[in-house]
Amino acid sequence: MNGNTGRIADINLTTGAVEILELPEETYRDFIGGSGLAAKVFWDRADFSADPLSPEALFILMNGPLTGIKLSGVSRMNATARSPLTGGLAESSCGGYFPPALRLAGYDGLVISGKAEKPSYLLIDKGALSIEDAGSLWGKGILEATADLREAYGKKSTSLVIGPAGEKMVPFACILNEAHHAFGRCGMGAVMGSKNLKAFVMKPGRGDLSLADPERIKSLIKELTPRIKDYLISQVLHDFGTAGNLEGHMYEGDVPIRNWTSNFDEVMGDALTGSTLSERFLKKTATCAYCAVACKRIVRIDEGPFALAEGPGPEYETVAAFGSLQGSSDLAAVCKAGRVCNDLGMDTISAGATIAWGMEAYEKGHLTDEQTGGIPLRWGDMETVVNRVLPMMAARSGKLGELLSMGSARAARAIGGNSLEYTAQSKGLEAPMHDPRGGHGHALSYSVSTRGACHVQTAMHFMETGACNYPEIGFEFDLEPLTHEKKAETTVLAAAIGAIENSACLCQFADRSLTLPEIVELINAAAGYGYDIASMMEAGWRVFHLKRCINYRFGFSASDDDLTPRLKEPACDGDSAGIEILFDEMKDRFYELMEFDSVKGVASRNKLESLGLTEEADRVWPGR
Amino acid sequence: MSQYYKDADDLYKIYGYFLDRVLRDDKIGTKMRKAGIIIKFMYTDPDAEITIDVKNPPAKEGYYGTFYLGPCDLKPDVWSKQPADHSHRFWHGLENPIAGITKGIIKQGGKVTAMLKLLPVIKPAFRLFPVALKEMGLEHLIVLKK
Repeated sequence: MNGNTGRIADINLTTGAVEILELPEETYRDFIGGSGLAAKVFWDRADFSADPLSPEALFILMNGPLTGIKLSGVSRMNATARSPLTGGLAESSCGGYFPPALRLAGYDGLVISGKAEKPSYLLIDKGALSIEDAGSLWGKGILEATADLREAYGKKSTSLVIGPAGEKMVPFACILNEAHHAFGRCGMGAVMGSKNLKAFVMKPGRGDLSLADPERIKSLIKELTPRIKDYLISQVLHDFGTAGNLEGHMYEGDVPIRNWTSNFDEVMGDALTGSTLSERFLKKTATCAYCAVACKRIVRIDEGPFALAEGPGPEYETVAAFGSLQGSSDLAAVCKAGRVCNDLGMDTISAGATIAWGMEAYEKGHLTDEQTGGIPLRWGDMETVVNRVLPMMAARSGKLGELLSMGSARAARAIGGNSLEYTAQSKGLEAPMHDPRGGHGHALSYSVSTRGACHVQTAMHFMETGACNYPEIGFEFDLEPLTHEKKAETTVLAAAIGAIENSACLCQFADRSLTLPEIVELINAAAGYGYDIASMMEAGWRVFHLKRCINYRFGFSASDDDLTPRLKEPACDGDSAGIEILFDEMKDRFYELMEFDSVKGVASRNKLESLGLTEEADRVWPGR
Repeated sequence: MSQYYKDADDLYKIYGYFLDRVLRDDKIGTKMRKAGIIIKFMYTDPDAEITIDVKNPPAKEGYYGTFYLGPCDLKPDVWSKQPADHSHRFWHGLENPIAGITKGIIKQGGKVTAMLKLLPVIKPAFRLFPVALKEMGLEHLIVLKK
């Protein structure tokens, strides 16, 4: 097998047994790798009745067919499980350094089941897997635990680590590589925590990549690297990080403010944007493996209440979630909040959004001092957020910590009233910091995303903002963000492209300038799949439909493809003020184009069978 | 053949009037000054170039910067090249600049990230461009949103 190793390690933490799965090459080709291949393994092996935090639940890490190639943005990795936050299919993507190390150790992925008897970590040393005692690491923050593991296994080792929030099974706990690169969304850290699994550790090793056409890969690296580096988006990312265009997004009505009650604040835009971060706190940039873009920030804050030692700085999502969304322009507080979340191991989007929801509930009197244990939860009070609320959430301690650690949807149900209406989520996953009222295609793509409100599961975010152009599949028109026009048709394409990107484990930033023919050529030269654009798109749709079938088996249906009222009500300021999202029209058209059943929310039997999903069709459409 | 401009002089007349207003506008001018760059806009059909300097002290009192119609010796920090008609629609708020760059309609060079600092001035300037056309008696060149 080329590109991939053809080996997936299946580890049962209860028994300690390790088996090697060797899937047919055809399965790799059909599901691409990464997110798609993990979904296929999940479909075939998961116990769909298992609680996400039970020993029976599966946790999967999966590389893509390009992992390890020395080109920017092709070595990310997918994590798949059942989400403890949403109850549906969870997936998350992470760059960093673990994915190529796993590939060079001889594995495409790891499938974890069972539960270790005591706190443990999984060590991979020259391809050999062993379960080690993590007693000395349990309870430690991610920064310290990562440092301990590096000291134990050398500077060239690399690890995936959970923090106290994961150990406590906070449903939006995350996993970090090198205390910087996150599997952020859907609560993957809690799944690891439920298995008593503190970390994965990879000792440095050397291996070879087997490629279908190594010479062509070499020439593609030579051709594409300068273009990736020179691309405008790459330059913005390099100079100012992922928050580089926050100020510009503010003018587009894209940046949520005070729990999505506003979309426009010039002062906030200027105070929080990436160039301000670079001017005030940036010490150097950092990268994922083999990346020439270097969008990661290393920051230091010398003085003040949020003084911070040199270390990882915030991404755009963190800046907005702990800045504008909470009514704060304090960039130092954002940096500190991001670092605290990283150390505790919590997704900054869900944590920030849940706190922002809590601030609105407190302001409205729906969340009382009695319910917060006397802690005031006020807009922009970042000292309270950083020093008190975040640690309580990670520890699930105190009334407020216990409440907010549930995530916004469950917390709203717990306090009742109409507080669920002003959560900003779909399927229980808090929306990322891109307001669908500033780009109506986002509304549709958030709602039909299997993992919940997500701007990277489909490519709509980039298609609607004009950052990509795919003439080969008919996408060469400009989209008007503030209308529903062509959004359903575009989301059909975006669903396949998003599935391809997440399955090939591409970085949606670094590889934004790649054309579809170039992606086809890269995959074929690496893995020899023999794709053309049509068959690659078909694989993308196959993956998308498979995930819909998985969610159906978890009890999701068409009615779950929705957004909360807060995300659909017309904005009150900025360019999008007063403009209604014609959500139902977009959704109905999308359903028609995707051949989705209007009740089940999955494709027709014929559609599934046409994509080769015959067994899946039998499951969701029993009895011919 | 340009839809909106007869020749370069015609373009200079319109942009000269527009930029004269922009660089005297307290709100927009202050923000442009903050960007602190020299930017050169190059146009095709008709071929023309305009340089805006908000880096050096303004040549005239009451202005936040200086603009030069036609070739100029100032070394730009960043340049942008596009068809004049595309720029005309852009200043009405009708063209997505990211899409223009993605499709190769707009070419850029130099320290392109410096242009991000101009983002806060673009939206307010969209309102001024049709106003400038109207004041010049060129209502027929105002492009309406479809």
